[in-house]
Amino acid sequence: MAVSTLASFEYLEQLSGTTFQKLYRQPSTALAIFRRMLPHLGRASFAKKSNATGSLVPGLLLTLRRQRDEALSLLSRLYIVHITARTRDDPQVVSLTKGFRSSLQLALTGGGNHQSFGVPSSDSATADVDLHYLDEYARAQWEGILHYVVSSVGEGMHQASQGPTSAVKQLLKAGSLVTSGAHSGITQAGFSFLLQEVNAQVWTLLLLWIKNAEQMEMDSVDVLSFLFMLGSLELGRAYSTTTLSESQRQMLKYLVDFGLVYIPRSTPNQFFPTRLSTTLTSDATALRSVAAGFDAVNTSATGTKGFIIIETNYRLYAYTTSPLQIAVLALFTKLTTRYPNMVAGRITRESIYRAISHGITSDQVISYLSTHAHPQLLKSSAAHGGGPVLPPTVVDQIRLWQIENERMKATSGFLFKEFESQKEYDACVKYADAIGVLVWKSDPKRMFFVSRVEQLRDYLKSRKTK
Amino acid sequence: MPRAIRGVLVECDPSIKSIIVKIDSEDHAFIVEDLDNQTLVIKENMLAILKMRLDEALKETQQPPSDSGSE
Repeated sequence: MAVSTLASFEYLEQLSGTTFQKLYRQPSTALAIFRRMLPHLGRASFAKKSNATGSLVPGLLLTLRRQRDEALSLLSRLYIVHITARTRDDPQVVSLTKGFRSSLQLALTGGGNHQSFGVPSSDSATADVDLHYLDEYARAQWEGILHYVVSSVGEGMHQASQGPTSAVKQLLKAGSLVTSGAHSGITQAGFSFLLQEVNAQVWTLLLLWIKNAEQMEMDSVDVLSFLFMLGSLELGRAYSTTTLSESQRQMLKYLVDFGLVYIPRSTPNQFFPTRLSTTLTSDATALRSVAAGFDAVNTSATGTKGFIIIETNYRLYAYTTSPLQIAVLALFTKLTTRYPNMVAGRITRESIYRAISHGITSDQVISYLSTHAHPQLLKSSAAHGGGPVLPPTVVDQIRLWQIENERMKATSGFLFKEFESQKEYDACVKYADAIGVLVWKSDPKRMFFVSRVEQLRDYLKSRKTK
Repeated sequence: MPRAIRGVLVECDPSIKSIIVKIDSEDHAFIVEDLDNQTLVIKENMLAILKMRLDEALKETQQPPSDSGSE
């Protein structure tokens, strides 16, 4: 369930039904959510079809049914589908909610006069704004923000840069990605933020902003539908600001700070979406195109994509001059020497401990190392018949160091106990397992632990009334 | 009607669990429900404090092995 773990949808799941009804009035929002949810919809309908033919192996069928139930429960949390409760006489009926369906139809057929996909500016476009310029602008703004987050760690390597605006700094502090005062510096949330993909980073920051915007008494529906609209705009095209609502226009100012849109100084009533915003609502493949887009810009500044060589003796050499990359490396490496074109260091037990205590996981470190592995490492792994890119000893050791430090696994949620009958217990456990919230159970004690309680509570109520 | 109790499910080794029980035995501020020798439920707001106390307790009993190899 890679998609549902994204922060954006976790936020959406918390919203109320009326908010969703308002949101789905905008065809662009319906389309954006539909695009993002497509894997789940597909899984739901595929499982259904294969169920009908019955030609699949029972084990596989069970997995598919489970996946379908999980997908359906997510879709209903987002108010995309309406599911009637399963009773003895009627089979379960799943239908798209009315608001979502009509907006999606409008979006797909292109009918109506709703202006929810933005209005291209009729003024002549400024000549010097091309794709390259927009990418460069977005990259500079975003790296400025990242650098501000990381700068407290990579002290001494910090180069003078203008940094983000004070509004952005405020936001980072409000979201406790960085702290100020006596113990100023990066926080645990900030570390994980740094190692995320660009798209996830953008959403994290936007969600922080939305939460703050609620305090500023801006309409969260307005704000969200504007974001979803941004996701459907065309890169390199000028759009008019005149059709935007008041709070959306206010928001534009912040989006400029984030590097999501660009407003030319000469024509303040048009705005250009950058690559960061046009890929907001696309799926994983488009994420890579963000990275690819940035890589194209990056090549001039930082050389090739892969730059890290790591040896079996835990020594690490990184061919980079980018202060941002060096600062990120310094989060989990003991850097010792800096040369004009590279830095050298070691991965030690202490450096990994430090990283873990800040909330970085070993998997994050490993995936960072392997995605940025030097071409030479890739070449030698290919020569050995496509073996692992990183030395297995190092990878294993990093994992072991983490396990050593992780004494307990904690999951927050709810413990259910004191069931009246074995039958009631069995039914509840089965239901909790089917919707994918069951974490732990003990049949002899008739207790179980779930990570989410809402649906189970409804289920218990419906059992009661039966 | 079954009861639902909010909390944090902690899964760990039996040795760690016994340390947690020992920490809790002082003032019973942490454990909500002792489930089995590898699982227990603790109060949600006490997780960070428990982690800290656990680290302290482990520091007393363990000698961190030193890193081998030179720079």
